[in-house]
Amino acid sequence: MPALDRLAERQLLVVTGKGGVGKTTLAAVLGRLLAARGKRVLLLEVDPRESLHQALGTEPSGGAIVPAGHGLSIQNLQPAAVIEGLVREKVPIAYFARKITESVAFRQFVEGAPGLKETALLGYAYRVLHEGRKPSADLVIVDAPATGHSATMLAAPRLLAQAAQGGQLGEMAAELAAYLTDGSRCGVVLATLAEEMPIQETLELIELLRTQQGRPPSLVVANGMYPAPPPGAAQTGATSLWRARRQLNEAELARLAAAWDGPLLELPLLPLDRGPALVEALAARFMEVDR
Amino acid sequence: MSGGLLGGRLTVVVGAGGVGKTTLAAALALGSALEGRRTLVMTIDPSLRLKDALGVAEEAKDEPIRVMEQGSGFLDAALLDAKHTFDRLIRTYAPDPEAAGRIFANRFYQDMAGSLSGILEYMAMERLFEMQASGRYDRIILDTPPTRQALDFLQAPERMMNLVDSRAIQFALDPWWDDAKPKNLAFRIVAKGAMELSDRLIGRRFLLDVVEFIRAFAPLFNGFRSRAEEVRTLLKAAGTRFLLVAGPGPDRVPDAMFFLRKLKETGHHLGPILVNQVHPDPGPAGPEDAGHTLLRYLADRDQRGLALLRSLFPGERTIIPVALEPVPPADLRTLGQLFDKLAATRST
Repeated sequence: MPALDRLAERQLLVVTGKGGVGKTTLAAVLGRLLAARGKRVLLLEVDPRESLHQALGTEPSGGAIVPAGHGLSIQNLQPAAVIEGLVREKVPIAYFARKITESVAFRQFVEGAPGLKETALLGYAYRVLHEGRKPSADLVIVDAPATGHSATMLAAPRLLAQAAQGGQLGEMAAELAAYLTDGSRCGVVLATLAEEMPIQETLELIELLRTQQGRPPSLVVANGMYPAPPPGAAQTGATSLWRARRQLNEAELARLAAAWDGPLLELPLLPLDRGPALVEALAARFMEVDR
Repeated sequence: MSGGLLGGRLTVVVGAGGVGKTTLAAALALGSALEGRRTLVMTIDPSLRLKDALGVAEEAKDEPIRVMEQGSGFLDAALLDAKHTFDRLIRTYAPDPEAAGRIFANRFYQDMAGSLSGILEYMAMERLFEMQASGRYDRIILDTPPTRQALDFLQAPERMMNLVDSRAIQFALDPWWDDAKPKNLAFRIVAKGAMELSDRLIGRRFLLDVVEFIRAFAPLFNGFRSRAEEVRTLLKAAGTRFLLVAGPGPDRVPDAMFFLRKLKETGHHLGPILVNQVHPDPGPAGPEDAGHTLLRYLADRDQRGLALLRSLFPGERTIIPVALEPVPPADLRTLGQLFDKLAATRST
């Protein structure tokens, strides 16, 4: 069964991986492909320095929902703004709500409370999908922040639920944690490069997802693969570099494949800058290799 | 010969994730040792290959490990680990073993201390200071955490100082539910409301865990505070230099700009900028080179990135391109070759 069919059955997809592995471009590619299947897709970006709009050729979001072609919209989301929004909802009197969000203690709580920011973001995605009679999206794709530990975001609600046991916040976090581990509704897509460190982190992440969340990722995508050199290509300095990088890619991919028997797709390094043309070309390639 | 690359006593290597910081830091450190300096490289989470190349293992989390010696110079390597350093600090600053034991036993410390924002960065600084103060090294090269927020560590000492002084902490040391203290009626009513609200939202157990942690931690605050101030001074000292490593191509320029702006704002000394993994010019196309278009594009793309960076800093900064290695360095010999290449680029 093609990986895309399986992704289309989910409500929430979290695209994660180390910085610089093409995570944002992959999120845009998945957004395009799933929207083309008739889904109404919202792509959420968390990085304060926006780049998703470049990949899709739209205006930057600046926090608002921006249409990005048929069935697809993007939104850049700041955790602090989401949390302040929640406080305003829980504390109906505007004066007190403002007093709370402006206080030093509150700011330190937002900064310091383990998993709070990540939980707020995932909670926002959940609400987009489930609130009201006619939710504004069928599928939300989260372009997770590039952190040293990309597992942090997915583990956040559980961590917060443990810490804040007994309070409303803890209950909400526990609900969200259960939702995230439900593989039939939420999927995790790992983006990586076939190089040593990204593959190492991907292997660790697969293991973490299996042990902590009780479910493997839905799909692993190796981006930026050097193409295989044609037989009998001339032995210039440049082609030997290319051969060496290709060999490295293949060796690292083999290391990944030895520990991961789930869906794995390779996307090539293409002679295109980040932008809509690259997203289209990779989307076409995705459909070719996904079977 | 490497004068420009290895400025003073302390070189801090910064940059976004995945740009090859750790490998360059290791190559520079090896070069420094080969030049006869007593050198330490401190690194976070290096790749397996690099760990093998340097011959370091887990035990380097406790004490630096000797990698090589030559003449008067040597290279030591240490691995940075937040929880490890945190534990050791508590043992150092706690007034007695019982106080240390109370912190170690605290649930909040066990579950979360390591994941608190800024702690890893602060602990890296702490360890750096310790090494620098030991006087064992002429030169220390610090490889920073591989996150976009890596520069958080610059603010880490300040943040630690602010946290210690903050109202929230003072409040926790003297909380509203402390019934032993006489309070007036109005205060009691407000406090009861505040307690009920936070109880409802967050759950009291969490608050109690945090307060207990802060109370156990309080005797250590003064030690932390003065240390944080010393670390801040060290990072801004004349002998401390920041070396920015950037990825190739125009897409990576915003990352580099972000680091440069931050370093400028905070008044740290910036050294040359290394643009790593630059694709070389493939030369004219051979008839059957199907990949030539791609190689041409990559070489041009990386030159565009360099040109953009140079145009943003005309004449102000030395920008050094570092060619993409066909195979990443995997032992001391190949690391040494990388250093020679860097030094040669520098002198031309």
